[in-house]
Amino acid sequence: MTHPPARQFLGYRRASGRPGVRNFLLVLNVTGLTTVPARRVAAELIGSRLVTMDHGTAITGRHDGPVHATLAGLALHPNVGAVLVLSALRGKAEALLAQLGDSGRPVAAVSLDDTGRDAHAFRAAAVQTGAQLTVEISRQRREPCAWNELMIALECGMSDPTSGLAANPLLGHLTDRLIDAGGAAIFGETTEWLGCEHHLMQRAAIPAIAARIGAAVARRVALAGEAGLDLLGNNPNAANIASGLTTIEDKAIGSVAKSGQRPITAFLEYGERLTGPGLAAQDGPSYTPESLTGLVAAGAQVVLFTTGCGNAYVSRMAPTIKITGNAETADSLPAQFDFCCSDVLRHPSRMAATVDALQDQLLEVASGALTYGEILGEDEEVISRFGETL
Amino acid sequence: MSGPAPAPVAVRLHAADSVAVLLHDAAPGATVTITGDGAGATVVATGDIPRHHKIALTDLAEGATMIRNAIAIGRASAPVAAGDWVHVHNLVSAHAAPPSRDGD
Repeated sequence: MTHPPARQFLGYRRASGRPGVRNFLLVLNVTGLTTVPARRVAAELIGSRLVTMDHGTAITGRHDGPVHATLAGLALHPNVGAVLVLSALRGKAEALLAQLGDSGRPVAAVSLDDTGRDAHAFRAAAVQTGAQLTVEISRQRREPCAWNELMIALECGMSDPTSGLAANPLLGHLTDRLIDAGGAAIFGETTEWLGCEHHLMQRAAIPAIAARIGAAVARRVALAGEAGLDLLGNNPNAANIASGLTTIEDKAIGSVAKSGQRPITAFLEYGERLTGPGLAAQDGPSYTPESLTGLVAAGAQVVLFTTGCGNAYVSRMAPTIKITGNAETADSLPAQFDFCCSDVLRHPSRMAATVDALQDQLLEVASGALTYGEILGEDEEVISRFGETL
Repeated sequence: MSGPAPAPVAVRLHAADSVAVLLHDAAPGATVTITGDGAGATVVATGDIPRHHKIALTDLAEGATMIRNAIAIGRASAPVAAGDWVHVHNLVSAHAAPPSRDGD
């Protein structure tokens, strides 16, 4: 690379908050009774993206807070041009619209209550409304934005030794750069902090954040204990140890390397949004689908996702750049990886140039270049589960 | 494809690290080239070490903290010499139960 990395991208300016790197109609279904017609509505509205909470109605009491917060976070996401809320109950749709406030983006709701409990009339009304919203947002144009208006989400899955040695440290370096420039980044996967939580606590900007990091890890260890699992007893597992990992600390270092070296300036619960700059830790599940949706609902416009063995899953709402440090995996999956960094394994002196190249790739994708995950449609959003349902 | 085994290389992620990770298998007596922080240094493997496993960069007393990517990964459960394979036989988590003491 002979030129400095890009520092601008073309994004969609919003009335408030960060710019979008995509501009789609979000079909947001909030009740299980409307899941089937919602799928038909989204299929008929070309270019729309469906997010559905099939078991949202029966979650009550203290557990419905994070679910509603996550739904609101998705509706207010920068990549969303307009929102079509679908619900069996008029009141549930109205409650969500009220929670969104005036975000400056077009929103509408259609419920079974509005259409005499007729699913076909519901579908027709929703498609008409969604088509009108789609015309409206199609008039928006991309404008130059500074790269520090980006918030990136950091995720890994199906890791191998190259993840901890190359791909995750690469993400750490890019994260440091973006934070230094005034941008934002978020990482989650709480159980993967186990063994490294003291390192993360030392990086907390204030003692209250350190305390919450420690408490979040302890809570997940206790949760696992209640379920009859011992996170420390057989971790790393036999396959991890055979592959070269030794202790839980050793394993966690590879995962935590994604977050770089900068102070952790925010701690978020699942469903909470990060509106300011800085590096945020989110207490969330480690399983990829639920984890990614939590990070995206917090407001990340782009996901950077490392894998060693291969993992096709991507966010539906935030373009997901798939990265590997394993050249053999990259060669065997030519339509999965957007970025291969195996070069830095053999030539660590090329790390800085590789960070430049990844920064360029990030800004290309932010400006509209497609990721394989978007093209191939390996996408979903999965809102985590909270408590029992009635 | 056959051919001579590549000269082993190990990655040190941070200058403070006491261990590096091998990118190739190392045989006893093999000179391992260190890349990353501290590039150009070498260490001689004292035994067989598999690819992606760790090699000690310095001598470490029993109980000494081992460092990778500037973060503690545990303590030496036996004396370790530079060039030794570092794995579960001589490295133990700080989360593991401490060695039993009289009166415990």
